[in-house]
Amino acid sequence: MTCHAFCMTFRFDSSRISHLACVFLLACTWGAQAGEADFSAEEIARIASHGPWPMPSMRDPGNRVSGNPAAIRLGYRLFHDPGLAANRKISCATCHQPERGFQDGLATARGLQHGIRNTPGLWNVGQQRWFGWDGGHDNLWSASLRPILDPAEMGGDAKRTASLLRGQSELDCLYRHAFGKAPDAGDDALLANVAKAIAAWQETLVSPATRFDALREALLRGDGAAVANHAPALRRGLRLFLGRGQCATCHAGPLFSNGEFGDIGVPFFVKPEGVDPGRQGGIKRVLANPYNLLGRHNDDATRNNATATRHLRPEHRNFGEFKVPSLRNLKYTAPYMHNGSLATLRDVVHHYSQIDEDRLHSDGERILKPLHLTESEIDDLVSFLEALSPETPMVIPGPPARIDSCRGFARRSQGKADAHAASVTSHVSRNDR
Amino acid sequence: MKSRRSRYGVLRRWIPLFLLGTVSTIALAACPPNEADGSLLTSGKLQLAWRPLLQGDTPVATTAIPMARHFALAVQLCEGRMASQASLKRIDATMPEHRHGMNYQPRISPLGDGRFRVEGLMFHMSGRWQIEFEVQNGNDVSRLLHDVQIR
Repeated sequence: MTCHAFCMTFRFDSSRISHLACVFLLACTWGAQAGEADFSAEEIARIASHGPWPMPSMRDPGNRVSGNPAAIRLGYRLFHDPGLAANRKISCATCHQPERGFQDGLATARGLQHGIRNTPGLWNVGQQRWFGWDGGHDNLWSASLRPILDPAEMGGDAKRTASLLRGQSELDCLYRHAFGKAPDAGDDALLANVAKAIAAWQETLVSPATRFDALREALLRGDGAAVANHAPALRRGLRLFLGRGQCATCHAGPLFSNGEFGDIGVPFFVKPEGVDPGRQGGIKRVLANPYNLLGRHNDDATRNNATATRHLRPEHRNFGEFKVPSLRNLKYTAPYMHNGSLATLRDVVHHYSQIDEDRLHSDGERILKPLHLTESEIDDLVSFLEALSPETPMVIPGPPARIDSCRGFARRSQGKADAHAASVTSHVSRNDR
Repeated sequence: MKSRRSRYGVLRRWIPLFLLGTVSTIALAACPPNEADGSLLTSGKLQLAWRPLLQGDTPVATTAIPMARHFALAVQLCEGRMASQASLKRIDATMPEHRHGMNYQPRISPLGDGRFRVEGLMFHMSGRWQIEFEVQNGNDVSRLLHDVQIR
């Protein structure tokens, strides 16, 4: 049986073993065809593990309105609505700006006060296990609620949220559609429901395929001509990423992140005279959070989605660890690292090339060593990282479809949202100047 | 006549249950372990078979544990053809070259007949992981190691 016939035979077998065997056989075929000038069978098997893209979409079992059209539209409207904030001037979109990959371009966030961490982008956020640089949240709706309530960010509360929903007829209508009851400040579930609607919309943010994805597909189908069309620097950078750089040890899978945490020697000191404990604090926060997956707001009665939280193991080394970020869409989310201390991708690669081992936790990762890359190797790695972002600027997602029975209310309230969206755009323009 | 029929009725009810129980016990014991029970480790007379289970209790080979995904283990302890009376006391995994372990604390549930279920494991990085099973039999403690390469 040829490799191709083998793969056709097992195309419909969902087992991972068959899939990996298929990928390996394709890799054998390609390795034989392409020769040593390109990727080895082992390399192709590893490249295959970074796809396919996009990943299969899955509803969040902990969020009963995940995938619900009314909730998605409600979430979109609330995300852009400054009425949730204490000063009625900022919204989620003030920091998570659609034009910037849902980031803000600043080193550290600025809500009602200055923050200490870089605003994470939101593309593909629905695919994550932990949320925030310290993983202080184990679900997207809980993570969405924190900035709304945090006095340093938006300073909102249940009363303000309920009055916002009732004050705008479309929002009220959408809430009733999604949750089957009226928004009531006295309702214990109100804030969780609002956050679940915002999460339902964020789950729809899936970034498009990239040059890397095209290269991966070409390798897997053994299309040598298509592979050769990709820039040599990109291909050399990919090889470095998988090989000597050992980047894929943590930046794994289709998201280019294992979803866990690491100390890579980025300083955790915070002015004035403070420290950011990173994951150590995140574990404490997630376990103390009433909106975590072990709590009653989790809509998955089986609690099968709470495995990670249930089995958390605090370790001494967690101090100064921060989340391994996805590497997709990096081109649009500078600056980098948990504190936004590195301005460019070249700076990031330089950091790993010259990593200061004295800064690493004594109980931490032992494989982090300075790579001592040449300038051309740094160029290659940067080329590869850039190939993980779409070439053209990201398309800004438009409003989700209106719900027919709420349509009559939509026009009047949409005006307010449009006005705020325009003010966010104007804010972006000012920053650009 | 009536009482004989009644006694016979009782027997008719209990004999199948007894037979079912006997068959179930034999099936659950599964000793000595075979390939279906997963990878086999031995220490003296003790045999330990372990098998990874993914979401939905889908069994996979020990060589196919996916990176950065939680999985459970089915563990069987045998001594020859008999289920072992030993207890699986602890299970952990480390990356010797990295000098760190897992980010999650596994929990062991005894199921009887030398069987155990372990929940909450995750190998969050690629590379060599070493799983350690600590088994206690009376005052004797055995540590059984198994290397797994995660890609």
